[in-house]
Amino acid sequence: MSQNVKTSRRGFLRGTGGVAAGSAAMLAGLNSAAQAQSGEPIVIGCPAPMTGAVAADGLEFRNGLQMAADEINAVGGILGHPVQPVFVDTESRGDDIVIQASQRLIDRDNASALITGYNLETGTAMHDVVADAGIIGMHAMTVAVHDELVMSDPDRYWGIFQYDPPETMYGTGLLQFLKQLEDDGQFTPPNRKLAIVTGPGTYSVNIANALRDDAADFGYEVSLYETVVVPVTDWGPTLAKLRSDPPGVIAVTHFYASDQAQLMNQFMNNPTNSLMYLQYGASLGAFRDIAGDNSVGVLYSTVIGALQDEIGTAFADAYRERFGATASPNSGGQTYTAMHAYAIAAALAGGPGEPYEEDQNRLVADRLKQLIYRSPVGTMRIKPDTQSAFAYPTETNDPSLGMPHIFSQIKDKDRDGVLIAPAPYDVGSFEMPPWMES
Amino acid sequence: MDIPIQILVTGLTMGSMYALAAVGLSLIFGTLGMFNMAHGMFMTVGAYVVFSLASSLGLPMIGAVLVAMLTGALVGILTHLLIVRFMLTGTDFTTNVIVATAGLAILMEDVTLKMFGGYPYQQTVGVSGTFRIGGVVVSLQSLVILVVAMVCIGAVAWLLLKTRFGRAIRATAMNRDAARLMGVRTNTVFLQVMALAGALAGVAGLMISTVATLSPQMGGDPLLKAFVICVVAGLGNVWGAGVCAFGLALLEAAIGFYFGVRFGFPAMLILVIAVLIWRPQGLFGKEKVVRL
Repeated sequence: MSQNVKTSRRGFLRGTGGVAAGSAAMLAGLNSAAQAQSGEPIVIGCPAPMTGAVAADGLEFRNGLQMAADEINAVGGILGHPVQPVFVDTESRGDDIVIQASQRLIDRDNASALITGYNLETGTAMHDVVADAGIIGMHAMTVAVHDELVMSDPDRYWGIFQYDPPETMYGTGLLQFLKQLEDDGQFTPPNRKLAIVTGPGTYSVNIANALRDDAADFGYEVSLYETVVVPVTDWGPTLAKLRSDPPGVIAVTHFYASDQAQLMNQFMNNPTNSLMYLQYGASLGAFRDIAGDNSVGVLYSTVIGALQDEIGTAFADAYRERFGATASPNSGGQTYTAMHAYAIAAALAGGPGEPYEEDQNRLVADRLKQLIYRSPVGTMRIKPDTQSAFAYPTETNDPSLGMPHIFSQIKDKDRDGVLIAPAPYDVGSFEMPPWMES
Repeated sequence: MDIPIQILVTGLTMGSMYALAAVGLSLIFGTLGMFNMAHGMFMTVGAYVVFSLASSLGLPMIGAVLVAMLTGALVGILTHLLIVRFMLTGTDFTTNVIVATAGLAILMEDVTLKMFGGYPYQQTVGVSGTFRIGGVVVSLQSLVILVVAMVCIGAVAWLLLKTRFGRAIRATAMNRDAARLMGVRTNTVFLQVMALAGALAGVAGLMISTVATLSPQMGGDPLLKAFVICVVAGLGNVWGAGVCAFGLALLEAAIGFYFGVRFGFPAMLILVIAVLIWRPQGLFGKEKVVRL
């Protein structure tokens, strides 16, 4: 599938490959210039959901951060100081647990920065802890509320970064993707009905609302807007509604991999002639592990996931070799990216500050804001006002300046989905799901 | 016509799992006067042990059910021998045992986490295939869940109503001191009840894990639902717990379809409040008359 972006795919990927190789060399160069080996370790705290409903992600966040830390230490750490990650389990629970965990990492472990993927909190639990301690916080909560909070008081929240775009990009992105499929003649929906199934959290609801609000502009009529409760043991009532009025497209924004897998297991007992889009959760190995053959044909997208180009594939191979065949580079790549970006920014700033050393940490924050870092999940470039990453292609049409909102389709239960959009990162094309009538 | 059938299928499947969980919980409360906060973990352990054995040895469904029952019973027995029996004669048993079993649940969850990690595993035991009722496709696993629940609950009912063992349990539940004076070994009865309730919990965990996924926290939600069912039925009323489990599950499924899935559990909670106002002793409970 090609998007309206005039870029030579091969040439672009060749160019960015050089950038990635250069980032490690840059850090190594800065380290040798510093001549400060065997220094005190730099503690990086990671409050992550390593048990509970989204443990499948949390365990990968831990792995990704550990892998990056090992790579950084292999080239001399940050200006000679080894990086020492410390992990605290937030149990897939809310703000209270995330705040306690973050505070503990600062007070007990003396963390210079907190780096995580996401937690099941309201989206800004870490922000005040980070602001009070004057350190750097990096997360992939993927929430618009981060942008609003940072813009409301930039002088307080100077140190907290969302290294991916906010969730609202999902809604618009999906509708644009569907339109592109239709324009290219790859997909004609059986009807113009769109069924939206969301979870109870703000994140899922915001994506669902964005979809609902924009659906009419793309010619879709929302035939079902259903909110499920967590955990979903039986999808019976929801599936009964879908079967009683089959939509052309089903979009599930409730993102838990295990719940999405059970949905597919139960949906495939009697599938409707509908395209099935599962937001984010299906990108995890756990989804394919649980859904098995029922996962084939599913479409998913993520605004931060491992690309299938030279850099992304090299990372994914190394990641799986270290953590096993079922490991998910899509989520491990998140903390991996943030850790590397932080290390470069800290080295460029002359080293990280400890908690309450605000002046030094402000220098690190400034370097992060100026950094354009090409990682296995695409380019991380921070917007100066919101301190979130630019989204490609929704916010910039230059793939070298934004993190891509990637769409993938599962074609083999034993492999990651094939990346089908956007250009120039696509490596395959859309195929009609096996349960749909062509 | 398909919609009522779908509601019935969902309600009976969920009701079966709720019933297995609630009947055991109610049995313990009725006999020992104890709310077992670790009941959810009894379910979890049953599911994980089956998962481990089935992954390495391969188990048919009937074997898996037996393993889950034995595991649950063993956990129940150990809980009684190592914790509950020391608290039974103490003051404030009802309160103390809630705290003790809550602590036990946390400990068991942490041990499960240490052993298996947080990865959401798929239960390896299960029956594949479907059949149709009208236009509704029903999975064979749903039928298995219903049959297993019916057999287990039927066996418990037979034990309680038709055997000497059951008579001892009922006598102990009615009046512990009177039963002891009549020669019933109440300590043995307590042990047997914990084993029986544990066995039911183990099977409940196995059945839940066949339609959901395994996680150390998987017992939390069923425990909450089982507690709601027990309150509506009348705490300690085993027969009522079984009936209410199916009734409430059908209600939840119907509300889920007609009003939205998110309203199912809140509706159950509203019902609890209504029952506690209207009949504090529960729908099937009897009022206690205190003569002064």
